[in-house]
Amino acid sequence: MKKFLKILVILILIAIVFYLTNKLLMPKYMDSLVEGSMISQYYDEEKNHEVIFIGDCEVYANFSPMVIYEETGITSYVRGSSQQLLWQSYYILEETLKYEKPKVVVFNVNAMRYDKPVSEAYNRLTLDKMKWSKQKYEMIKASMTDEENMASYIFPILRYHSRFDQLTKEDFEYLFKEKKNTYNGFLINKNVKPVESLPTKRRLSNYQFSDITYSYLDKMTALCKENGIELVLIKAPSVYPFWYDEYDAQIEDYANRNGLKFINFLDNVEEIGIDYTQDTYDSGLHLNLYGATKLSKYFAKILQEDFDLTDYRNDEAVNSVYQERLKEYHEETGL
Amino acid sequence: MSLVSGAFIGIMIITAILYYLSPKKFKPYVLLIISILVYSSLGVKSLVYIVISTITTYVAGLLFEKNKHKKLILVVTLVINLGILVVIKSELVKNIIVPLGVSYYTFQVVSYLIDVYRNKYKPERNIAKYFLYTMYFPYLFIGPINRYDDISKTLFETDKKFNPQSAYNGILRIGWGFFKKLIISNRINVLISVITQNPSEYNGAFALFAMLLYSIQLYADFSGGIDIVLGFSKVLQINLKENFDNPYVSQNIQEFWRRWHISLSSWFRDYVYIPLGGNRCSKLRNYFNTLVVFLLSGLWHGVNYILWGLFHGIFLIIGKFIKVKNKYVNITVTFFVVSFLWSFFIWPTAIQSLQMIGSVFTTFNYQELFSNILNLGLNLANYIVLIIAVILLITYDLKREKINSKIKNLSTERKLIIFAVLVWIVLIFGMYGIGFNASDFIYNKF
Repeated sequence: MKKFLKILVILILIAIVFYLTNKLLMPKYMDSLVEGSMISQYYDEEKNHEVIFIGDCEVYANFSPMVIYEETGITSYVRGSSQQLLWQSYYILEETLKYEKPKVVVFNVNAMRYDKPVSEAYNRLTLDKMKWSKQKYEMIKASMTDEENMASYIFPILRYHSRFDQLTKEDFEYLFKEKKNTYNGFLINKNVKPVESLPTKRRLSNYQFSDITYSYLDKMTALCKENGIELVLIKAPSVYPFWYDEYDAQIEDYANRNGLKFINFLDNVEEIGIDYTQDTYDSGLHLNLYGATKLSKYFAKILQEDFDLTDYRNDEAVNSVYQERLKEYHEETGL
Repeated sequence: MSLVSGAFIGIMIITAILYYLSPKKFKPYVLLIISILVYSSLGVKSLVYIVISTITTYVAGLLFEKNKHKKLILVVTLVINLGILVVIKSELVKNIIVPLGVSYYTFQVVSYLIDVYRNKYKPERNIAKYFLYTMYFPYLFIGPINRYDDISKTLFETDKKFNPQSAYNGILRIGWGFFKKLIISNRINVLISVITQNPSEYNGAFALFAMLLYSIQLYADFSGGIDIVLGFSKVLQINLKENFDNPYVSQNIQEFWRRWHISLSSWFRDYVYIPLGGNRCSKLRNYFNTLVVFLLSGLWHGVNYILWGLFHGIFLIIGKFIKVKNKYVNITVTFFVVSFLWSFFIWPTAIQSLQMIGSVFTTFNYQELFSNILNLGLNLANYIVLIIAVILLITYDLKREKINSKIKNLSTERKLIIFAVLVWIVLIFGMYGIGFNASDFIYNKF
């Protein structure tokens, strides 16, 4: 019995060492590559959002829930991540619905153009810090590139072991703690890098969205309908990559067939007041803080006027939390 | 499938479980079925070759017993089997499928055939057992070349109970094989790949650096693979013979070949060298026999390696004329000769290999090598890991018996800790996975 206990203690100690090593070697996504921590920051949130944004960088860089709240009292959260693919958006939505039932889901359709996994690095940014669930498992299966395997997601040490010589202060500082990098999923970027030239329309051999992306869009539509959620399709006003008229027509058609609202913000750039010489941080791929503020104010109005959403500014409990966060937000943004 | 892949680890675990869970008399058959499945999964078409080799030698073995034309049967069967090997190895037919382990199993069936012909032992009557002899899957990846009389007892034995000590030793050895392959061989492979990519720039000192490193790499790689095969066999309580015995402490080329790839060199000794007359003949004839053996040994590796084999034969003969008393001088000279000759394995053509050897004596760019050493694909941290790992390898090899017996007498808890530390080291410092261009075992291609 004594021997058995000894072995058990040793096994537990070994497991702890392996667990800690695994934790140490995984990227922390706190000071560098912060995009990797966006998906997981949602878990610590109070789950009372009436609007959920899902999609790629065109949502987390362009829509500020803080501005939307300040303008309208509507609570929202951006569950965006870099190069979020359609199936990833679907499973993130499914996962979100386990925690809360928003009234509106806003989905950025830019990902419709990608019908296969783009790169392992982007997969990692979305998946690494996601909590384990059926959705995560399915998402990994759907997202893996040929060079990846499930084992490296279950045991990240198989992927990140080679970081042993790249460990920095960040890895030790955030071994057991995390810091918030976003405001309700919105990533602040104050840099300014104007659009130097507008994209030219390069001809493609095929403009048709693939069956696989449509199938996930169908699943997303069905999931929202089942849960009584209004699905809004949007195209954020990012100049790059070029959004073709042929793409637009397909989404327009899909929205009409399924009774969905579709807003292409590229058509409303002037009305929104976006100035591409001031409002983008990377020559038109993403809006910066100033552009995102303009777009969020514009969209806040649409949310307020077209949907039956609550103004939480009159709810003391919710409002006090948001006011505190808004104070921090204003301090950080200087707006 | 690589011996260090997750798939192979899974196959080893499943095989061991099924092997020990199966009823006594079915154990060899369970192993055979798994072997067939593993082999088929790597290409069903390859099965044709191994089945032909197995059946022809099995039938020939039985025919030897009651037939007057023993010699004819022997010759015909040898021609069929060695013919297939030569056709495949010489690349005479384009786009021909190279079956996994063809060099290993062909030599196994030939040794069986000749042994039965010489009445060394009786032919195997149970065809399933004979198939297991040729198709036992672990050895097909990297060797060793087994002999029927060495392996049959433990391979066909049915009265086996799970032996924790044997399993532990086996698993530890598998872990050590992973250590050698993933930490040492794959790390050196990064350097070798960079150096060989640009021969016009990386010659002279760089070429010498590559040759010396390759000596370590090939040993770590080949013996690491053998460790996995022998370790797994140990778990199943199947005793395979050792393939290495500290080859780099050899004092001459003759000794080197007694310590390196032992199963191949002993095969050539028993089935080529001795039948040719060995050393019981004139000196000149003996030198001729030696050269023939090494030419064939080169050919076994492939047409591109004939010159490598020939040089080994020549240096072996030269070694007979030069006697130096200092063993450290002998060891150093032998190591350098062997390392220079590995050039034929490093660079793609024999001409380029000879040019690189020549450049060592004509281009003295050592200053350039030292100033560029961190630009060859490895950073300082990885060099430190490599140096420590090689020191561990040398220490273990030189004190193997002592270390093994110490581990054997340790308590279960301590054994557990040793295994965990080994796994931890391999997991962190091994070079594998995404972002690393993994190379398969070098001897997997032979």
